[in-house]
Amino acid sequence: MSFLHGILLAGAAAFLIPLIIHLLNKRRVQTVRWGAMKLLQEALRQRKRNLKIEQLLLLLARLSIPIILALCLARPVLSFLRQLPGASQNSLVVLLDNSFSMRAPAPGGGTVRDAMRDDLRRIMDNLPRGTDVSVVLGGNPPHFLADQPTTVLDVINDKLRTEPSLAGPMALHDAMQLATAQLKRAGSAGRELMIMSDFRQKDWQPVADGGVLPGLDSFKKEHPNALLTFYRKPSELRENLAVASVEPSAFVIARGQTIALRVRVHNYGTRPFQDVALHLEADGARLRTTRISVPAGGETVLSLSHAFDTPGDHALAVRLEGDAFPEDNVWPLVVPVREQVNCLLVTGSERGGPLQGATDFLQIALTPHESASASLKDVIHASVTEDRRLTERSFGGQEVVILADVPRLNGRSKMMTEMEDFVWRGGGLIIFVGPSVDTRWYEQDFFRGGKGLFPCKFSGAGHVDEGQPPARILSQRFTHPALSYFNDARGLRLQDGAFQHWLRFDKIEGETHTLLSLDRGDPLIVEKPFGRGRVIAIASTANADWNNLPLQPVFVPLMQRLVTYLATQSAAPQSSLAGTALRVNLPPNQAGDEFTLIDPLNQPHEVTARRDQEGAFVEYADTSQPGVYELRSKRNPKAEIRRFAFHLDPAGSDLTPLPAGKAREIAQHAGAGYAEGYDEYAQLDRTRRHGSEVWQPLLLALLGLMFGEVFLQQRISRA
Amino acid sequence: MAKLSDLLPPEDLAQLNGLPLFARSVMEGFSTGMHASPHKGFSIEFRQHRPYVQGDEIKRLDWKVFGRSDRFYIREYDEETNLRATLLLDASGSMAYRGTRGVIKFEYARKLTAALAYVLTGQQDAVGLVTFDSKVRSMVPCRTKTTHLHLVLDTLVKTQPGAETSLAGVLQNLAPRMKRRGLLLLITDGFDDADALLQAVGVLRKQGHEIIVFQIWDRDELEFPFSRWARFENLEIDDDFLLLDPAAIRQRYLQTLAKFREQLMEGLRKHQVDLVPLITDEPLVDAVKSYLALRARH
Repeated sequence: MSFLHGILLAGAAAFLIPLIIHLLNKRRVQTVRWGAMKLLQEALRQRKRNLKIEQLLLLLARLSIPIILALCLARPVLSFLRQLPGASQNSLVVLLDNSFSMRAPAPGGGTVRDAMRDDLRRIMDNLPRGTDVSVVLGGNPPHFLADQPTTVLDVINDKLRTEPSLAGPMALHDAMQLATAQLKRAGSAGRELMIMSDFRQKDWQPVADGGVLPGLDSFKKEHPNALLTFYRKPSELRENLAVASVEPSAFVIARGQTIALRVRVHNYGTRPFQDVALHLEADGARLRTTRISVPAGGETVLSLSHAFDTPGDHALAVRLEGDAFPEDNVWPLVVPVREQVNCLLVTGSERGGPLQGATDFLQIALTPHESASASLKDVIHASVTEDRRLTERSFGGQEVVILADVPRLNGRSKMMTEMEDFVWRGGGLIIFVGPSVDTRWYEQDFFRGGKGLFPCKFSGAGHVDEGQPPARILSQRFTHPALSYFNDARGLRLQDGAFQHWLRFDKIEGETHTLLSLDRGDPLIVEKPFGRGRVIAIASTANADWNNLPLQPVFVPLMQRLVTYLATQSAAPQSSLAGTALRVNLPPNQAGDEFTLIDPLNQPHEVTARRDQEGAFVEYADTSQPGVYELRSKRNPKAEIRRFAFHLDPAGSDLTPLPAGKAREIAQHAGAGYAEGYDEYAQLDRTRRHGSEVWQPLLLALLGLMFGEVFLQQRISRA
Repeated sequence: MAKLSDLLPPEDLAQLNGLPLFARSVMEGFSTGMHASPHKGFSIEFRQHRPYVQGDEIKRLDWKVFGRSDRFYIREYDEETNLRATLLLDASGSMAYRGTRGVIKFEYARKLTAALAYVLTGQQDAVGLVTFDSKVRSMVPCRTKTTHLHLVLDTLVKTQPGAETSLAGVLQNLAPRMKRRGLLLLITDGFDDADALLQAVGVLRKQGHEIIVFQIWDRDELEFPFSRWARFENLEIDDDFLLLDPAAIRQRYLQTLAKFREQLMEGLRKHQVDLVPLITDEPLVDAVKSYLALRARH
């Protein structure tokens, strides 16, 4: 047994007062030589009850009152009750923040995650025997630490030791959904949800602004007695510099071709960073160092470039130096270097004069250096053919095929099958419409009710009347990987293109989605996945017949990015968010092959290629560690090494915690207890869980004794 | 030889002078006094007329009535006689109680007895004294001589409270020894079995005695004011005591006391016996005077 206010126990000594009064009264007995003895004896004889026992009870009641009052005030905690099986069995669900910010240094050394883990272990050590615990990890994506709640708390401790923190911000809403659902399933009467987090401002600001924690209100209504605790342990680190993004200029480059990297460095702190070293590393070797300055709360954008001499997947990394939290100072990237990307241009109209053909602009855009007879090398090798010369063998060795104003592929079903097979295996297909296209054939044979390659149907044609401003591409923030480059591309505006004619796309359903729209509301570019490959349809021409986009500088990078995107889309991205599953598509003949995946910490993991409809693939889910992963074939050690990069989510780099007052307000609003550190939690826990369990019956006993004392007093005086 | 001033201060004696103690019922005396005698005869106190019968003395005929009604009526007169008053003083141990105010009940009772003796003697009544506890300790027969008062007082002074009370037994013993009717003044605390006491009183009443009971109380006995633990030692029996918390027993004691007084009062009223409670903290003379004055009016 322990006491919350042990000093007040001294008040129990007040029991001596009635005892001393009693003893003094008995000691100082007065002698009365009494005459009316017969009356006194008669009075005693008539009393049926045993007065001595009643007086003893009265004395005991008077002694007990100050003792129990002192006990009540001292708030006793009967810890031994907690050790009785089933005495106070609880279900505890811990929502443990394992987002990236938990890697920040803790006040007492180590990381916040380590400190929080130690605290959780201490909390679990003091749980009543038989309490089942489940832990929801609140990083992105949130998940359970163990499949089932367990009463064997060592299992939780072991798993926590090996469980890495995730790469991004806290997925608060999803994690809360998981946690409350788990708590509802709990069978014990006593339920507690404990949210352990550093309460990073970016994660919690919506809640602090009045947002709700999902599932919590309904849960509190259903289980009003459930305990809710907010456990806050922030890092003291406020200054943080991070590489916020690195955007490559191309999905794939040729050997010797230069790739440009646009690097954003963000300062999340309150003081500026001056002359910070930023390194560019290629395949583990430092290439060059640049000095940059980043203002407080601002960012610096700079461009870096590099060319590789050998084909294959090359790893690039941008690394910062100079702040106290180096975890987010690296951004890895994989750049596929190819000899060339083969692209077949199929024109549907006869070539008239210069730049009159349907693919003339395309050819220039895809091979600008070759077209300009420059010595620089193009990564795309474009070959042009007319649609009537297209055969089944035309697709061999090609990675992307572009149909430009092709009227129809009528009567060549074998070639159609071959084209579908080409895309299904991972090839890319771009279709430009034009004045020559047979829309009926496109709808019936090429779209084929959604089963064909063409992504959609037509619903007439769009055009701009004379005197009216031309249609332009709708301004928006592009999220598609092939287009995101144009969000910040200086001098390269997609909106420069003016459209006079276009075909209206209709029935954009299922997996088909719009990449770009015109400001008239009609889709301009739609994309449809087909097997491992993708089809992109463009609602206007590839030459200047219906629009002037091909005349704009932006046409060159747009086409290059679309082609290289399609050429590489079946491969893994150049850099993925850490934590997302790695899936590597392989040719069908590699199904069953064994591979070794080496993670950024140089730990090998054995993986086996599995078969799917399109071929074979290798999958690996545990990519929480950012960096470059290497996939090596065990059957053919000399085969090309595939590399994959995983980067952190920059949204997790702002370490600014929600002020303690705000966090307290959230807890108060949610009806939750609030603690910063284990000691505060222990006190809170005792106060909430155990204090109320012991002092309440004591208070009842005290009231009973006081009533009893008055009753006995009255009864004895009436004796 | 004891003097009255040994027992009563002179100012008290002055107040008692001239306070007659009338016997409420007819007394049988042996000298002419202010008390009516059951023997009709020579007297100035007219009682009634009755028709003449043969054998009556002619001198007792009321000629005025004969003149008015032409019938013979005899005038009857009440004969006045002197009173035989016996003072019965309880000298049991319980009378030795000294209250918290310092007054001993027996002292108070002794003064009362002396005062009564003085008043009665002053009326030319015959006064006797009996002191007793469990038995009669001394007995002074009734005399009318003034010098007899000295004997009574002397006996009073010599008497000290003694053994256990047996009031009923003493009265029953006295009954056959008091053949002539008279006034019995019983000065006691009455701490005896009420039923036995009333039975003995009934016997004396049948013998024609008039009885007045002066019940002496200390205020402690009426209010039981003790609060601290106390050892109550029996004044009448050695080594008999009760150790108790008075507060715990007070209520029950007061109930028992009230019941006892009620029983005594009811029983005495049935026997037409006056019960005069006297409390020791009240002035003795005032108490006696107020009672005697009350009796004089009836």
